[in-house]
Amino acid sequence: MTHAPTNSHPAIEARELTKTYVLSEDHRVEALRGLSIQVGLGEFLSVLGPSGSGKSTLMHILGCLDQPTAGEYRLMGRDVSRLRDDERARIRNEEIGFVFQSFHLLARASALENVELPMLYGAKRPGRAERREQAADALDAVGLSDRATHAPSQLSGGQQQRVAIARALANRPRLLLADEPTGNLDTSTGREILETFARLNEERGLTVIMITHDRQVARYAHRSVELRDGKIVHDSANS
Amino acid sequence: MTENAGARQPDRRPAPRGIPAARDALFAAVAGLWARLMAELSAERRTAAETALQSLRRYPLRTGLTLLGLAFGVAALMATISLGRGAQTAIGQQVRAAGLNVIEISAGNYRTRGERPIGGVEAPARHGRVVPPGVLERLWQRVEPVALAHPENDPMEKHDHPTAAERLGDSAAGLGAAATLTRDDAEAIARLDGVAHAASGVHESVRAFAGDRRWFTRLHGTDIDLVEIRRSFSLRHGRFFSARELRRASQVAVLGSVARDRLFGPEVDPVGETITIWNQPFEVIGVVVSTNWMNPGAPGDDEFDAIYTPFTTVHRLLNVTNLNSITVTAASSGEVTQVADRITELLRERHGIGDAQADDFTVSTQASAVLSKGLHPKVAETLAGNIPNLERTTLRQLAATLERSSRTMSALLLSIALVSLLVGAIGISNVMLLSVRERIREIGLRMAVGAKTTDVGGQFLAESVLVGAAGGLLGVVLGTIAAFVIEGSFGLAVDISFAAALIAFLVALLTGIIAGVSPARRAARFDPIVALGSE
Repeated sequence: MTHAPTNSHPAIEARELTKTYVLSEDHRVEALRGLSIQVGLGEFLSVLGPSGSGKSTLMHILGCLDQPTAGEYRLMGRDVSRLRDDERARIRNEEIGFVFQSFHLLARASALENVELPMLYGAKRPGRAERREQAADALDAVGLSDRATHAPSQLSGGQQQRVAIARALANRPRLLLADEPTGNLDTSTGREILETFARLNEERGLTVIMITHDRQVARYAHRSVELRDGKIVHDSANS
Repeated sequence: MTENAGARQPDRRPAPRGIPAARDALFAAVAGLWARLMAELSAERRTAAETALQSLRRYPLRTGLTLLGLAFGVAALMATISLGRGAQTAIGQQVRAAGLNVIEISAGNYRTRGERPIGGVEAPARHGRVVPPGVLERLWQRVEPVALAHPENDPMEKHDHPTAAERLGDSAAGLGAAATLTRDDAEAIARLDGVAHAASGVHESVRAFAGDRRWFTRLHGTDIDLVEIRRSFSLRHGRFFSARELRRASQVAVLGSVARDRLFGPEVDPVGETITIWNQPFEVIGVVVSTNWMNPGAPGDDEFDAIYTPFTTVHRLLNVTNLNSITVTAASSGEVTQVADRITELLRERHGIGDAQADDFTVSTQASAVLSKGLHPKVAETLAGNIPNLERTTLRQLAATLERSSRTMSALLLSIALVSLLVGAIGISNVMLLSVRERIREIGLRMAVGAKTTDVGGQFLAESVLVGAAGGLLGVVLGTIAAFVIEGSFGLAVDISFAAALIAFLVALLTGIIAGVSPARRAARFDPIVALGSE
């Protein structure tokens, strides 16, 4: 990582975030209305809320896929709320791993090639051999080293999501953002995925933020925040 | 990685042969080139190229079809260029082969200076064939004949071809010549400015015998330079006689294809055989055939129905020293008349001819023969004065006509090639645009994991460029094959050049680049959130 490993700052520090979508002249949607949140390094946080509560918008902003209309967002101590597209791409590449509800794997690429993907776009762009090795390590971490050459279509849903997690881990980021990671999976497979998150959080000190609408799922996190109409209405530690 | 490498070791497979071996070698070569190219590129370009190659390989059918579409266009372009160049070269060769830069000097003057420059006697009835091959050549050479007694006209002799007098007119056939030209004249002419070659010539009509076959034909005692002068000569078998044989007056003979056919039979290689002329044995050392489609060689044509031997040999056997003719080529065809004038001046001086006297020789150029053909003497006379200008015009017109027709064909083919190339380009662009649309989610994902806009745009541009390059290479190969096929089956001249291949390839590459720009820009402009959310 480019940053010195210091724990003097929280992983995420967001103040008074607002996001307004202008649909037409007199029709605006305020997805976030002055939301503030702080997430410490190594925390496992779940963000709960019904659809339309602004949790996807929050996830996009926290994941540097989008910018807030107003407010300040510091990621790993760095203000990232007003960066250019390419700078945000760099941050996403180095600091954040994404896990999506629908996996988003390249259908015609092998598991290994899928995991290699983030390494293609990093600042240092390692060579083939190094990429391969690092991707194999990541697959190993999610217990799929024996499926490296399989195409996504040859894998079960849970295995596909684990490939996606391995991909998120490939560049060794400090933050993992998961958007409804169990939404397309059955309960027992979902549980495996959640346990994987918990294990990564515990063993590697990975900061995990998981967005869900399911209270059962949210319970795997150490702390839950609840969103409604673009604001946090509830913030508590899970027992 | 090491595991994979181990598994791919081909040591257990039998060594590939033939096409598989060639294919493997090709793949290895391409892989080697690719590796070198990659080493040259910046990290970002390398990523673009690598991801592009991966994507292309993941959709082999789509890639293949796009590539093929382009390759056909390039092949057409390449074949067109080759055909066009071939036609151009062929025209140049034909013009030269037709002998437009040839100047013929005959001994004696069969047209009195200033009066009846071209004989006014009616031509004897020609033989039955209406338009025999080589008619153009012959038209040029046909000067109105003067009836003269000649052994070929002997009523006791049976001919199945027109006699030389009928064909050519006696003077052009080298008959009725005075003993005015000498070897020294030929050597003096050879030293003149603008003269490329000068060949001494003694011409006789002879009966040649080979076993029990005999053939009445022309014997040309000539010089080693003749092969350079007669552009349409091609030695099918053996060789032309050497300077040494010329010096020694050796009894060697090079047969024209027609003489060979009659004395030995078609397609026979008579080199090493002996023929008899004037009861003297001649060793056959070569066979000349025509490379000129305007004059493929026919009985009685004086060039291929002929036997060539050193003029020194004819001199020795007949115990003569004069020459019937000197054949000269001008270094450039635009200079023919000036060179002809210089020769006239030189010969008049050498022969000590006073201003009031007529030449004792005749200098004729092919153009003058063409121009004065069949004209009223008075008109021809006027024309003759203007020959220097007319000649240039005629030469130019002939070349221009030939070139125009080849250019028309080239333009037609080129337009076909360009249309197919355009279709190929639209094909790439279309497929790339579709591919962008189809892979929006992939683009979104790549952006989410850190691909910059330039990475995504670069990948799609690189895909297009790679298709362009591969299509170009394939097209060049196909085009080369097509050109050979055209040459083989239609007999059209084809000139496959490195330049044509390079142009065709670069056009394909350019097509790839241009076709890729718009899809690449589209791909790069996506908002990752929108792209990820699209289904």
